[in-house]
Formats: sequence, C-alpha cells, structure tokens
Amino acid sequence: MSMKQTINRRTLLGTGAAAAALTLATPALVRANTFPDRNISVYVPTSEGGGADRNFRAFSSVWKEKLGTDFEPGFYPGASGRVGYEIYMGKAEPDCYNLIFGNMGPEVLNWAMQEPSFDVNDYFYFGQVDKDPCCLFVGAESPLQTMDDIIAAAKTRRLNVGTSRMAHPASIGLLALGDKLGVDFNLIPLQGGKGTVAGAVTGEVDFSVLTSGSVIAAGDSVKTLLVFGDNIVGEALDNAPSINDAYDMDLPEMLSARAFGIHQKAADDFPDRFELLTSTFRETFDDPKLMEAYVAQKGQPEYLQYAGIEECAAFKQSMLELGARYKSLLTGA
Amino acid sequence: MDSSTASILVEVFFETIGYWYIIVPTILLGLIVGGIPGFSAANTIIILMPLTLALDLQSGLVFMISLYCSARMGAGIPAILVNIPGTAGAAATPLDGYPMAKQGKGQQALAISFVASCIGGLLTTIIALATMPILARVGFYMHSVEMIVVMLFGISLIASIAAQDMVKGLIAGFLGLMIGSIGTDVVYATPRGTFGILELYDGVPLIPALVGLFAVSEAFVIIEKRVIVNHDGEPKTPNWGDTFDGVRIALKRWVHIVWTSIIGLVIGVIPGAGASIASFVAYQQSRSFSKTPELYGTGHPEGLIAPESANNGVTSGTLVPLLVLGIPGGATAAIMLVVMQFHGVSFGPSLFENQPKVGYGMFMAMAVSYVIMFLTILPLSRYMSHVTTIPTIYLAPMIIAFTLVGGFVPREYMFDMYLALAFGVLGYIARRTGYHVAAILIGVILGPLLEKYFLWSLKKSDGDIMVLFSSTLGNILWVAFALSIILPIVFGMRRKRKFEVPAE
Repeated sequence: MSMKQTINRRTLLGTGAAAAALTLATPALVRANTFPDRNISVYVPTSEGGGADRNFRAFSSVWKEKLGTDFEPGFYPGASGRVGYEIYMGKAEPDCYNLIFGNMGPEVLNWAMQEPSFDVNDYFYFGQVDKDPCCLFVGAESPLQTMDDIIAAAKTRRLNVGTSRMAHPASIGLLALGDKLGVDFNLIPLQGGKGTVAGAVTGEVDFSVLTSGSVIAAGDSVKTLLVFGDNIVGEALDNAPSINDAYDMDLPEMLSARAFGIHQKAADDFPDRFELLTSTFRETFDDPKLMEAYVAQKGQPEYLQYAGIEECAAFKQSMLELGARYKSLLTGA
Repeated sequence: MDSSTASILVEVFFETIGYWYIIVPTILLGLIVGGIPGFSAANTIIILMPLTLALDLQSGLVFMISLYCSARMGAGIPAILVNIPGTAGAAATPLDGYPMAKQGKGQQALAISFVASCIGGLLTTIIALATMPILARVGFYMHSVEMIVVMLFGISLIASIAAQDMVKGLIAGFLGLMIGSIGTDVVYATPRGTFGILELYDGVPLIPALVGLFAVSEAFVIIEKRVIVNHDGEPKTPNWGDTFDGVRIALKRWVHIVWTSIIGLVIGVIPGAGASIASFVAYQQSRSFSKTPELYGTGHPEGLIAPESANNGVTSGTLVPLLVLGIPGGATAAIMLVVMQFHGVSFGPSLFENQPKVGYGMFMAMAVSYVIMFLTILPLSRYMSHVTTIPTIYLAPMIIAFTLVGGFVPREYMFDMYLALAFGVLGYIARRTGYHVAAILIGVILGPLLEKYFLWSLKKSDGDIMVLFSSTLGNILWVAFALSIILPIVFGMRRKRKFEVPAE
C-alpha cells in the first residue's frame, strides 16, 4: 500500500517554524545540558582567612559534588566590602558562572551609607548558608569582665568599642544599647573580623562587637557578654543573655547572614542554569557532609540555616531600612 | 622548660627532619614563587589549598611553614640581582643589594642575603620558641599610638635618603605619601583621590607600585647599557670564592644579624604589622647607628643584612600571636589558620595544653626549614648570579614582562599592569632627574599604615592630638625615635671633627 503525502502551506510553515525554533533553542539546550562546563568563580568581598572564607570553603566542598564542578574563590576586600561588589557587578559576566558570596548584614547596610555605582536591585541573594547574631565580647584579660563593669566604666568615660566596620549590624546593636543605657560608646572600625577580635584581646579597644560566629572561632581568648539576638548556642557564647532579655528592649535581631548572590540578568537570561544552581544549593543542605564540613571549619551547627530567594530578599530589604535609620550615626554626618 | 616539653621538642625535631622529602621540594617551590613578583607564600597556599587539605596535619604544616620561609627568602633574590622586590617585605633589600650586583658582587650579595636570612630566621625561631609567652604580650602594649612611632622610624628613612639632596628627597617622599593616601579612608570608607576608578578604592596596590618604581624603571635604565654589571665592576666569572666571601662578610657581622632579626621578630608579633615595616625600620636603625652611614645605598653589606634578617625575623614572629592568642599576625598566618582549623586544631591559649606537638611542631618545622635551606640554597648563589651578566637586550624585556605579570597576579586586574607601567615611567623620570625612587616607595608603603594608626588614635581620643603622647611605652618610643634621629647627626659631627683635627 502506498501513501501519498502532500505538504500544504500551513504544514510547511508550521514545520519550518518548529525546525527554526528547535535550531535556535538547540544551543541553549546544549548549554543548559552542559552547564557547568567549567569552574564557577566566586567573588568574596572580604580577605582570605576570615569567616567568609571558612564558610565558603565548607559549603563549596559539598556543593561542588552536587553541581559537578569546582568553585574558584577570588578575594576582593576593601572599602567595607564595596570593592568586591563593585568588581562583581562591574566586571563579572552575568552568565551564572560568576557568583558573589557576601554577608547580607554589613554589606547591604553599606549601600544605605553610600550608594554603590550599580542599582542594588541588579543583584540578589538566592541562598543563605548560615545566619548568626552579633554579640558584644571582651578580651579574656580585659578588666571589664561583666556588663555591669562595662556600664560602670561607660558612666565615667567614653569607652572605645572595636567593630569590623562602621556600617555593621553589630554597630547598630551597640548604638541601640547605648541609647537604652544613656551612655555614649565610641565605635572604632578595626577593618575586619580578625582585627576586631585582636583589638579586644590586646586592649587596643575596651571591648568589641562582631558577628558571633567569628567570636566563637576565636576560642577562649575572648568572653562574650551580650548577644544582639537570641543565644541559640548557649555555652559556645558563654551563655551570654540576649540584649532584649537583659535590658528589656525590643530590638530586632542584629544578624550576619552569609549568602550566595547573583546578577539579576544572569538569572533572567539563563533560567536553566540558575535553576540548577538553586536546586543543587538546596540539595547541599540535605547532605550530612555539609554539617561535618561546617563544623570542621569551626562553624556552629545551629547557625547553618538555609534560606531561599524570598527570605534573602526580605533580609536585604530590612538591612536597607535599618541602615537608612542609623545612617547619621554611622557615617559621622 | 620542663622535661616533658624538652622531650616533646626532641621528638618533634626528629619527626620534622623525617619530612625532608616535603621540605626540599617545597623550598625550591618557595624560592620560585617568592622570586616572582606578585606571588607569595599566601597566594601559593591558597592555590594549593586542595593539596594542603588533603595532606595529613603534620605534612600540611611542614609544607606551609617551609613555603612561608623559603618564599620570604626567595623574594630577596630578584631584588638583589635585577632590582625586582617580589613582595613589599623585600622592598628595602635592593637599596644595597642591587648596587652590589651592579658592582659585580651579585654572588656575594646573594650569599650575604642567604646567611642573614637563615641565621636571622633560625635565631628568631629559637627565641620565639623560648620566649613565646613573653613575646605574645608585645601586642598587648603596642597599640595604635605606639605603632605611629614605629611607622615614623621607617618613614624617617626618607630624610636619610634625602640627605644628598634634601629638597628632592623630601619632594619624592611627600609624593609617595600622597600616592599612599589614595583610596577609601579607614573610618568611614569614603573614597579619596580615586578619580572614580574602582581599582583604586582599596588604595594603590603595593605590588604594581613596587615593581613599577623599582623594576620597570630599572629596565628602562639598563636597556641603555650592555649588561647590569657596571663597566668598572669586578670580574664577573662566578667562583666559589665569592660565595665563601659573602658567608664570611655576613658572619663577621653576626651582631648585626642578631640585632636586626630581633627587630623583625618584635614587629612580627604585633598583629597587623608586617615584613615591610620591619625591613624599613631595621634598615633605618642599622643606618642610624652605623659608623659608616654614608655607605648605605651604595652596596653596603650591612644595608643588605638588615632588611633580610628582619623580614625573616617577622616570619617566626607572626606565628606567636597565631599560636598563643589565636590571632594571625599576617596574611600567610591567616591562611594557615584556615587550614589548621580544617584539621580540627584550636588555636589560642589552650593549644599548648591540648595539642602541644602542633604548637611546637610549627616552630620546629621552621627551624628545620631554615637549616635545610641554608644547605640547599647557598650553593645556588654561584649559578643565580649569572643573571647579572645576561645582555640587557634580553634581560630588560624579560624584566618588564615578568613584572607586568607580577603586577597582574595579586588582584588579576588589567588596570594593575597599566599601573605598574605608569609607576615605571614615574620611576624612570625620577631616576633621570635625581629623585630617589626608594623615597617615593617608602611613602607609598608606609604612608597608608601610618594614616591608619593615626586615624584610629584620633578616633579613640575624639580628635585630641595629645593622644600621641598618652602612653608610657609610646613616650619611650618617641624618645628613642628622637635619639635615633639626633645621635647619628652628633656622631657624624664628631667623626667629622676627628677627621679634621689631624688635617690641622
């Protein structure tokens, strides 16, 4: 039996359109299938050896197995993290092969102090690795060993307080405490977590405020006295009370939250790649190896907390609002 | 030291020697990465981090320490032979090292540098090991006010350099300080003098400035000659005699090595201070109390010994706050902290109680590395010094290419290569018009550090300038600083008078 097929104009156009669509879509499909075919570059806006470095290495050591490629960190410290973001937004290709690993607390707060050269909505965070409250701590040999010591001393002189940078949630926590106690603290930006810990330990400043993850990593050289949020790690932070409990305050948690961010354009132009990034990021949290790696890098298990795009966006927004409220105090304006 | 500590030290010593198969290749790697501008122990450990993490704790520790020591020493080699200090810590090395190479004494200079580095490093390691609890206290007394005076010790070198032509020297120094003030301020992170250039927000990057001012400008100069060595330089045929001569010259100045390496050790234990400060301060001190200060800058062995002993003294010094307080003293120590924490090591006061072999092992690895380095590197000086005899038509382009790559490596910005070239042109003009590039560089390197400590002090005191004289130790340092400026002038006048008496 023979079949006679005729091709009419509609069939021809339809088939042609389908073929053209397929041809045009093929590179994208191939790209999507092969992504990632090289290492992912991660821009870290702080220096190597710090808390972000530790967290990045712990997380990426497991994530790379899910994604099937390695992560290459590049450290771009300077200007309170601004350099790293400016470089990422200005120079990195928005192709999902370039991510930024930042701290949503102080780094977003920075945008409220000085506007960056890019639109802050041109990037977003898609995955939070961990979240820890900021805290107030003294050096192990400091003469100020309790909050009562600090308050008594603050009433006789203006105490110098080390902070990683002026625009930091820990700085805001301290200023709020000063308001409540009716004392004036003098913030000294000691350029990063290591310097802030060193300042308290060696007596460069009277005490310091910082994200609690870095304080815990400093071990028994320091003693935590107050947490600007809930102390969910207990002994690790010397059972220090929350600021709200201790002083009957209603301060929102002053948090540091490290998260991976990406260009908005990359997510828009390469949805398949972005989907792969977010799904493997989520899967990483289900792997028990992540907790092992995180704890090995001196992370507190309680701080390892996943948050997705919406939660990160809410966090970013709250930091921008907080920054706007405290801008005059943190910029010396 | 009790018997248990002594037995741990002996045990760790022999264990560390057993890792010679890691130490020897790592020393060679360290020499290479130290010698290439832009590379350093810190970024090499980062690059090799997967390997370091895969090794067991002891092997990883030996690897990192050997690399750290040898890279520090390696940075001095191109600084001496071709005027390329690979890192800021070696910036003071070419001041006298390179003039020696130009006089045909490159081999001697290398031998002097190796001996000063190894003895300085070994000695300070032993001192650090023996006095760790005391040394760890230095950081408790050296705060921002005291550090301002330490910075001034280094910056006062500008005046010494300017002695031959005070106006030009001071202009060069101030230019350096102005360039050093580019970038965001340390308090409110407000950009200054960046002209909107993002790459300058974090200040003028040191390596491009360093290689541009020294190496690129030197390449422009030497291209006008046939070889680096002066026509009136000594015979250039390398022979073992020159190496032994260098060893003899250095050993004869053992007091100088001890003195300047201890300066390095003390500065090294202060968190945040580094080899660049130590080497300039040691050079300044060495020159101030020398009987022949006029010879500095002309190829004087003591001018080479001082920075090399000091920057190796820093190496052992940075381990002290890391191990005792859990505070890394510098960038490389910070990377070591990450790696050691990955292996479950907790730094801080409890380290020597919980894991004494790790704490002592790091110092022992350093001591063994210096001993092995001395034996393996010294013979190489004979062959390395051949570099100075390479015709400049080949050498100059190689220097420019290497240094531009070196300028690029630390931050991987094309901008930094252009910056190195711009500094090269600035350096060339300065040389041709009699301005000293070292004076510019001192301002660029130490200026931002001085400003940081100055602003911190002012912020702490609410802007009261008298804070500079508010601490006892600070005031002692001020007096020492004043003496180190005045005494050489007095000694110089006395020497001049002595010289004039017989003439009468």
